[in-house]
Amino acid sequence: YNFTYPFSSSISTANGSALVKIGNTTVICGIKGELTCPPSDAPNKGYIVPNVDLPPLCSSRFRPGPPSEQAQVASQFIADVIDSSNVIQKEDLCIEKGKLSWVLYCDIICLDYDGNLLDTCVVALLAALKNARLPEVTINKETDLAEVNTDKLHHLNVSKHPVSSSFSIFDNTIVIVDPTVEEETLSTAMMTVVTDEDDRLCMLHKPGGSALSGEKLQDCISRAVTRHREVSKLIEKVMDSFEPDK
Amino acid sequence: MRDGPNTHVGSMMDVAVSPVLALRKFGCEQSLLSRPDGSSSFVQGDTSVLAGVYGPAEVKISKEIYDRATLEVMIQPKVGLSGVRERAQEHCVRQTCEAALLSTLHPRSSLSLILQIIHDDGSLLSCCLNAACMALMDAGLPMSCLFCGVTCAIEQDGHIVTDPTSQQEKESRALMTFAIDSAERRVMMSSTRGSFSVNELQQCVALSQRASEEIFQFYRDSVRRRYSKTL
Amino acid sequence: MPVDTKRVRGPEESQSPLLFLPSIAKKSVAAERGRQDGRRRGQADVRPVFARCGLVSQAKGSAYIEAGNTKLICSVFGPREAERKDEAGASSGRLLCDLRFAPFSCPNRGAWIPSSEDKDTAQGLLEALRPGVRLHRYPRAQIEVNVLVLENDGSALAHAITCASMALADAGIEMYDVVLGCSLRLDGNSFLLDPTLQEETAGEPGAQGSVTVALLPSLNQVSGLQADGDMREDTLAEAVRACMEGCHKLYPVIQRALLRAVHKRASPSES
Repeated sequence: YNFTYPFSSSISTANGSALVKIGNTTVICGIKGELTCPPSDAPNKGYIVPNVDLPPLCSSRFRPGPPSEQAQVASQFIADVIDSSNVIQKEDLCIEKGKLSWVLYCDIICLDYDGNLLDTCVVALLAALKNARLPEVTINKETDLAEVNTDKLHHLNVSKHPVSSSFSIFDNTIVIVDPTVEEETLSTAMMTVVTDEDDRLCMLHKPGGSALSGEKLQDCISRAVTRHREVSKLIEKVMDSFEPDK
Repeated sequence: MRDGPNTHVGSMMDVAVSPVLALRKFGCEQSLLSRPDGSSSFVQGDTSVLAGVYGPAEVKISKEIYDRATLEVMIQPKVGLSGVRERAQEHCVRQTCEAALLSTLHPRSSLSLILQIIHDDGSLLSCCLNAACMALMDAGLPMSCLFCGVTCAIEQDGHIVTDPTSQQEKESRALMTFAIDSAERRVMMSSTRGSFSVNELQQCVALSQRASEEIFQFYRDSVRRRYSKTL
Repeated sequence: MPVDTKRVRGPEESQSPLLFLPSIAKKSVAAERGRQDGRRRGQADVRPVFARCGLVSQAKGSAYIEAGNTKLICSVFGPREAERKDEAGASSGRLLCDLRFAPFSCPNRGAWIPSSEDKDTAQGLLEALRPGVRLHRYPRAQIEVNVLVLENDGSALAHAITCASMALADAGIEMYDVVLGCSLRLDGNSFLLDPTLQEETAGEPGAQGSVTVALLPSLNQVSGLQADGDMREDTLAEAVRACMEGCHKLYPVIQRALLRAVHKRASPSES
């Protein structure tokens, strides 16, 4: 294993933020809450909009311009993780049914790309959600307008703690946990397993590549479960060390 | 629409005894387009995908890979522009095809696969995979193995449904799509939604492997039918 | 409005909660003699700066700078073969600058698509850096400078210049001198050196302007100057002088950060 160092950083312009470093890979996640109308098909829900950006800053393999395929795949992956694991109950983001709800823009930017992007992004997202604080919003009965009270800040209710574990697979024989960029490019397949604290799987993402037998699959899953324990312990420790001085 | 009664599978034991897999009616036609080098349309129930393969052809210098062919996959939705979701699906299909194709036989060349969604009624990704495989076969590209896509949905009460419709997908608790290879019936690709236990996953994998037998048999039949006509 | 199909999309429109704040009488900055963070007006009083080199493992050179709440990261790639081969670039190298503000860097969320402000700032950065780099030593090559503003609390361009030149030095690109940036806000009759975002946007209408100076400190030459607003000739000269003074205060900090990076490279076992 490479080791994980999550830092909760303080970007004061964001509602919540976290800088996470796994090995050399560094990712920053900033969360900004905005107010909007809830979706018409689900009037009691809010939105979570995650986007992953791989700017040319983080590695010479990325060009400036619109997001690459890899960035889009990562964005969709994070969106699926949020949906599948119910990190945040979207009902919690509703302020007034059918009228007003929060939209959480979770912008994840990679600062240093050395493989295992997805794991790092999930940890960053989780840490940022955990330290995000939103102001209290009430709807004024008379004017029907929203009123924001920035003196009262609320933490988000993070109901699940998904942790992802990526594996590089070399022809159904060798499996490497937490691969670097070099290992990723040489491997014949990648697999990412996302688990939550009840040892349930939220995501088994294997975008093609060489085939994997059932036994190896089981092996990876049980490794992911052990890794989940280690990582979540680490996150908790870091979050606790940051809490008192706030 | 179904050609058999729904098989509800509750546990590993049931998987072993339940003889009927509930897959919807397949339909497939190859070489139906004249312009692409290979084409196919694949129908699973009401879900229908049209695939075209171009190549091996010349490649843009910026995309050239010196020891193998460059594969591009494009998924066109029925309406509107393709978005991030399509891009993620393209990524899955591309990596699956790359693993099956012997692309080292065509270095410095390009292969492009275009998938046009005609209608989506559930199990879209698996239908895309099947259409892609048939189109690659039709184009006569060398492959190390065939692959097929199977979608499983776990319902609220824990029953597993294979090849769900979009209505069943919406009501399901979890949804999984696997790509199974024809050589050893191993999992090439997996993409899931919703949360599920390890046991449920293993059941779905086992079920998909059994379903793949049926699909590969269908592949064989439809190819045989096609060539018996032309010969 | 074109739809961005390459990102996960949210709702059609949303408002920042700051818009709904019950409007409190904004504290007039000009009313006080001092500044909110305790610095004095009209003095070469810059915010404390934290600078580090070599954070991005994949880049040739990189730097991180933190001044007050303004946080920037920069990485440099190259020199590598130029992508565009035209006659102009044959004898000397090309310097490419890309500057982005992270969406969460400002009080109101920014869009992902680079705005004209981003491009303007990137152009300003490029013009300030170019005189400092010995580009004729890199024919047919390009050097890429990428800056990301993680948090913008004023004077983003000035710190971007400093940060970028540190990253260039860290990458071992030949330069005449490091380029340091400092900016100043003219508010009424007094100067606010190294202004915060609040000081940049607030203030009474009237005599206002802002000046950003890029300086090669050991040569004492100005490589870039950007001024806008309404200023008299002597005020401008005075403002530039104040900025230069600010740059000189920054110089030892940057020197120390660069030295530390060199030491680290020379003996990786220590540190």
